[in-house]
Amino acid sequence: MSVYLEKLRHFRLAIKQHGGIIGAYLNFYRTDELKWGDLIGEDKFGNKYFQNRHYFIGRSRWVQYSDAVGMDYDGSQIPPEWHRWLHYIGDEPPTTAPPVKRSWMVDHKPNLTGTPEQYVPYSTVKPKITAWEPPKA
Amino acid sequence: MASRLIRQSQGATKIVKQILSTDKAEARRRVLNLYKAWYRQIPYVVLNYEIPGVTVKDGRVKLREMFMKNKHVTDLRAIDFLVIRGQMELVETVNIWKQKNHIMTWFKDTWNPKPADFLSKFYEGN
Amino acid sequence: MATLLKIWPLMGRRILGNPAACLACKSARTASGSSDQPEVELFVNDIPVSVPPGTTVLQACAEVGVQIPRFCYHDRLSIAGNCRMCLVEVEKSAKPVASCAMPVMKGMRVKTDSEIARKAREGVMEFLLMNHPLDCPICDQGGECDLQDQSMVFGSDRSRFVDMDHEGKRAVEDKDIGPLVKTIMTRCIQCTRCVRFANEIAGVEEIGTTGRGSDMQIGTYVEKLFGSELSGNIIDICPVGALTSKPYAFTARPWENRKTESIDVMDALGSNIIVATREGSVIRILPRLHEDINEEWLSDRSRFAYDGLKRQRLVSPMVKDASGTLVSCEWEDAFFTILDRLTGVTGSEIAAIAGGHADAESLIVLKDLLNRLGSEALCTEEIFPMDAAGTDLRSNYLLNTQISGIEEAEVVLLVGTNPRYEAPLLNARIRKSWLHNDLTVGVIGPQLDLTYEYDHLGDSTKVLQELAAGTHPFNKVLSSTKRAMIIVGSAVLQRADGGAIHAAMSTLAQNHRVKSGCDESWRVLNVLQRVASQVAALDLGYKAGVQVVRDNPPKVLYLLGADEQTVTKADLPSDCFVVYQGCHGDAGASMADVVLPGAAYTEKVGTYVNTEGRAQQTQVAVTPPGMAREDWKIIRALSEIVGQTLPYDNLNEVRRRLAQMSPNLTRYGDVEEANYFKQAEELAKSVKSSLASDALTPPQLSLKDFYMVDSISRASQTMAHCVAAVTKAEAK
Repeated sequence: MSVYLEKLRHFRLAIKQHGGIIGAYLNFYRTDELKWGDLIGEDKFGNKYFQNRHYFIGRSRWVQYSDAVGMDYDGSQIPPEWHRWLHYIGDEPPTTAPPVKRSWMVDHKPNLTGTPEQYVPYSTVKPKITAWEPPKA
Repeated sequence: MASRLIRQSQGATKIVKQILSTDKAEARRRVLNLYKAWYRQIPYVVLNYEIPGVTVKDGRVKLREMFMKNKHVTDLRAIDFLVIRGQMELVETVNIWKQKNHIMTWFKDTWNPKPADFLSKFYEGN
Repeated sequence: MATLLKIWPLMGRRILGNPAACLACKSARTASGSSDQPEVELFVNDIPVSVPPGTTVLQACAEVGVQIPRFCYHDRLSIAGNCRMCLVEVEKSAKPVASCAMPVMKGMRVKTDSEIARKAREGVMEFLLMNHPLDCPICDQGGECDLQDQSMVFGSDRSRFVDMDHEGKRAVEDKDIGPLVKTIMTRCIQCTRCVRFANEIAGVEEIGTTGRGSDMQIGTYVEKLFGSELSGNIIDICPVGALTSKPYAFTARPWENRKTESIDVMDALGSNIIVATREGSVIRILPRLHEDINEEWLSDRSRFAYDGLKRQRLVSPMVKDASGTLVSCEWEDAFFTILDRLTGVTGSEIAAIAGGHADAESLIVLKDLLNRLGSEALCTEEIFPMDAAGTDLRSNYLLNTQISGIEEAEVVLLVGTNPRYEAPLLNARIRKSWLHNDLTVGVIGPQLDLTYEYDHLGDSTKVLQELAAGTHPFNKVLSSTKRAMIIVGSAVLQRADGGAIHAAMSTLAQNHRVKSGCDESWRVLNVLQRVASQVAALDLGYKAGVQVVRDNPPKVLYLLGADEQTVTKADLPSDCFVVYQGCHGDAGASMADVVLPGAAYTEKVGTYVNTEGRAQQTQVAVTPPGMAREDWKIIRALSEIVGQTLPYDNLNEVRRRLAQMSPNLTRYGDVEEANYFKQAEELAKSVKSSLASDALTPPQLSLKDFYMVDSISRASQTMAHCVAAVTKAEAK
């Protein structure tokens, strides 16, 4: 019996964390998941990182993507310093152990495939035949 | 294949061996049976193969069209062959031995007919 | 040594007694076959063979099908005998004998595959390889190298060359002899083929040898340009990789190339060529053997201008937009733009000009289309006098004696032509005949270096009058022979008094034929055309010269590869609509309102008739680039758009139509002769125009003028480099 009560308690906590029934429904619609946990930090893109050791390893850390991206969230939107925490490479989140900033490091960029900024390969081979350029009038 | 079907008898005349049907009525029955089998299978085919834009109705129209394409065939052996082939296609379809594109090719030609007259050939590049 | 090499041809003549013997074996046989000397019998590997006296052992072996390995010996060059590769054993001879230089003797027993012969070759090969670098993997000759092949067959499998530490291999500095021929002189085996070619065939005594023994070097003595219009041929005759093609360097191996046998259109001779292609582009052009046209040589323009086929190309149809700039479009757009302009224009307001590279198929289709539209104004860019018989009689505009006829001729009179640059291989024939047959050459025109000695008769038209009247001293020379040729350059016929020049020469030629009593089949009058399409165009009834267009300015002008600016925008009314069809963006495309991209000569099957009247066809080596199409197809498609559909859909049907118009155009390989000199001469009397007093000067005077003459060679970078190199050499 107490197991069911525990489940119910977690359910209520989750709903509460998402700001009521509507918020929870919207989050469920977006992520197919309803979890509650501690907010560990937020990166510069607006992604929020949560942890709840109550869930088993593999599900105990998760990300709630920035609202700016809407439904177009994508794993590549997570910057590397959070990636290592999220994937249990280390236990220290970048909030407590910020990575050393080196001069050669570039800003993180998500995968742009499918967007207008995507990389399109082009030929660098010189054409075999050069066409005549008509004179400008 | 044909040489095996045509046996030379002692006389000058050739006696043709039947494949399945002995007379026209039997051949007709076989064709109708195949048609019915296909007709009943079409809802499942449409469900299993999820061809975009093809409904059960489209499938039945196509089925009729493909049967009618051979309506000029009168030779019993030819009809039997077509029935056998239709049966094979059905089995392949039912067992999902076919892939999506095999079904799709029945619905849309993906190639353009070759140009025949000079000007179209010229525009095509040869 | 250098002076010695120069007199080699003469030495060859003295030693062998028979000048022709040092030429092809075939010519040796024909030359002495007619003499009464009995044939000499000898035995080659115990097979009896009878050959005329004066034949060499090597040629006798070739008669029975025994190929002797050789490096220095070449059929068309004098005999040097310095490579020693052709050593054979002759019974009762103390030493092996160099078969290329040894005349046959009665009862000689030659062994070509005996122990001694094999050992001798192996030894020679070892000596050659001792000083030859082992750089075959990076050598351009690899795969077509005589040394490579013969060392595989006749060489030893090991070398005794061990002196790498002290003396090492011989190394020779490379020479810069121009933008066409790359030299890697360390690879040279001193066969002296290039020296003999330059001195004997090209007639440019610029290559020779210095030093002797292992210090012997081939070169130009001082560093200078090898300034010859035939320089590319030394690449072909070099048996090793010492002389290779500069534009082709490190491009491909011969076994990777696809070879297409085709015809050259850079001059009017129609030299036979092999077009080597790889990955869809032409990577080199080599000569193909044709004894009656180019033998085995090729002029530099024909050989090296192929890179022009990849530059300045028209790859899509173009139409002028509102601002007057040509912009690319689809074929339909171009056709319908033309259709718009053609509606409401009467037939007499349409004209067409055909350029120098047009094939007979496109010429006939264009003529049929314009005739159906009601126009008769079809002309060629190249002018030919139309007065009197004009182009009605074929004999008026052909090189009637044929190119090989020069070898039978005894006197040649060149009128207003510079064959050295207008038709280099014709000039090489004249030189060959001058060298071996004591040909007398007379020249009317500027005093130029033609590589042989000639009587200069002056460059004024007065000489022509005197000759025609029979009062000139040269008439005596002419009347002393039954085999005279008069070659009139088409360049001087471009002049306003071209008709009078042609008439004067026609009279002279006919008078000579009558007076000398020469054979009826011997022609005297020859016209040397300059462009490949001219004879076919005149055969098909095109009017020569653009006077028609100037007299009746058209509303619509169709240029079929006409790029020589014979008609410019200034000659045409301002509302004249110009359609240009061709392969290169040049003067013609610049003045056009619609541009239709055609195929170059390597990209289509086309019929060309050379200046002799010999029909030949090009073959497709590569496909036309981009949206370009074969030329006759473009006009055929246009005919359908304008509602005058022409009744042929494929090449065979076009050829049938060609044969209808002029059957000789489809008799490929044959010369269609013409023989109406008497009638032509009678008609020539009616020529009204009189000779002008200007000097008879052809436009191509120096080597600089030779390289860039048509749209393809003008687009070629290699040709531009040649012009720059010659200009630099002249400035020194």
